[in-house]
Amino acid sequence: MKAVVEARRVTRLFPMAAGPVAALRDVSLRVDAGEYVAVSGPSGCGKSTLLHLIGVVDQPTSGEILFEERDVAGLSEAERSRIRLIRIGFVFQRFFLLPMLTARENVELPQAEARVPPADRRARTRELLEYVGLGDRADHLPSQLSGGEMQRVAVARALANRPALLVADEPTGELDDQTGEHIADLFDRVHADGTAILVVTHNPMLAARAQRRVAMKSGSLIA
Amino acid sequence: MTSLWLAWRTTKRYRVRAMLAIVGVAVIGALLFDMLLLSRGLLDSFADLLRSAGYDVRVVAGEGLPIVRLPIAGAARLAADLRALPEIRDVVLIRIERATAQAASHTARTITIVGTTQTGGGPYTIVKGDDLPTSASSLDRCPVLVSRRLAASLDVGPGSSLQVSVRPEGIRSALPSIACRVAGVVNFYFAAAGEDSVATTMDALQDALGVPADAELILVASRPEAGPAAAVRAIERLRPDLRAYSNEAVLAQFNQNGFAYFRQISLVLSSLTMAFAFLLVATLLTVSVNQRLGEIAALRALGISRTRIASLLLWESALLVGAGAVLALPLGGLLALGLDRLLRQMPGLPDRLHFFVFQWRAVIMHAMLFAVTAAAAAGYPVWLATRLPIAATLRREVVG
Repeated sequence: MKAVVEARRVTRLFPMAAGPVAALRDVSLRVDAGEYVAVSGPSGCGKSTLLHLIGVVDQPTSGEILFEERDVAGLSEAERSRIRLIRIGFVFQRFFLLPMLTARENVELPQAEARVPPADRRARTRELLEYVGLGDRADHLPSQLSGGEMQRVAVARALANRPALLVADEPTGELDDQTGEHIADLFDRVHADGTAILVVTHNPMLAARAQRRVAMKSGSLIA
Repeated sequence: MTSLWLAWRTTKRYRVRAMLAIVGVAVIGALLFDMLLLSRGLLDSFADLLRSAGYDVRVVAGEGLPIVRLPIAGAARLAADLRALPEIRDVVLIRIERATAQAASHTARTITIVGTTQTGGGPYTIVKGDDLPTSASSLDRCPVLVSRRLAASLDVGPGSSLQVSVRPEGIRSALPSIACRVAGVVNFYFAAAGEDSVATTMDALQDALGVPADAELILVASRPEAGPAAAVRAIERLRPDLRAYSNEAVLAQFNQNGFAYFRQISLVLSSLTMAFAFLLVATLLTVSVNQRLGEIAALRALGISRTRIASLLLWESALLVGAGAVLALPLGGLLALGLDRLLRQMPGLPDRLHFFVFQWRAVIMHAMLFAVTAAAAAGYPVWLATRLPIAATLRREVVG
């Protein structure tokens, strides 16, 4: 199977007043096309740092991140931004929907940025909102949606440009158990439809849904 | 889904903040607009006033400013010589004296009396009655035009009698009064607010003075094909001892001297208002960006480009500043009317002189200054938003 993204012996140091702190130490991780990987571990173990590196929003201090076999270190910021727009979908713990846009408009935004023609993006948005079960809430603002609904809109937004990889940082962190399960169900469907997923989570229920589970401790993979 | 559209939706979403910014910019903008009107208003108004007389060259005796009046020796003969010049179309002699005017049982009032050889179409608007008659056709010894204010205070109108006694400044005299007849009631362009004025013929003024008197000012209209500059050169060739000024030269002199004060005030206050507008919008946008750092980092993580984020913020700034700047125009206009009324109460100013005069140039300058302000005010928030470290910001937002 071809790798969507591969972290090769990456280390990430953060400069601090008392000296650099290693958030990741010599970590290697590969996510294949269509694979569903969950990363879990205690707070501060480096899960989110790894997700940010794999999601191409951060750069390792040493080591390599290969996205679809390209070393992202050699890419310009505009090129990395383009990869995030077209090939990676992000889901955040706090949803980060734009509060002034409706659910439909939030899902349309990345497509507009990718210059998808208006008719195509309207059709894709309708399809995605139906997919996440919010076809009837398309014209609601985030403030008119529940937490679970907002996270479903965020998933629809992440899938808007048909990414190869969906990365999710504690996607059930702000949700109750039942709503968290609905999101886990949604991730199962996304995976079943062929999108690779890398999810960072504390939630054992969500981690259990993944094909492969990876545990971290103190900046290193332990399993 | 353009950046402008997103900015508009953001502005609508944060309505109270947007309203505060717009009102703030409108108030500041009104002051700026007034300063721009003031910076040229008085000069433009003065230019209009000069041109309203219908003459484009002023001839005075000797050195100094054109408003310093000394008698011009042989003015009557000079007028005839000037009329003969091919560059000159018309010549009018003017002499101005202090006098008293009395009618029936009313108390005598101090007035400014203007003797002129001009008959018809002078620097005034006739409200009632007729213009000054030409001396050839007039049987009146002293026909006068009186200002509306004087007509009201002495209760006179066309056909009324008026006793005028000239009191030359700096000279103790007991000249007898002469009987004048009111030909018309007028609004004088050059009369100061609160000043009682009378215009009569030069012959009548000389009668009232009791001696032949030379004019102190000669107004000259150049021929269109020659222009005022050629007329000035011709006059100076004819009488090198006199000084001739075109309207443009008078305006240039006043622009350098008389109006520099207003320009300086205007420049200082304009700069201050621009600084306030900049600070207001920059602060509001910076606060807004700081409140939305997580949102912006998420957008960047989703692949929204730096350019899009920058143009979104620039449009937000443009909407706030633009709306405020547009509102500032009527607000500034109203404020200018009030301020103009207040300033025109200064003694000695011609009634038709204004400090604040509408000029398209001021509107264009206002728009340009605000465009620059909007761009400059967005500078720091744009830098903040486009340079933020995405991963660190997302981490902070979750931890926070």
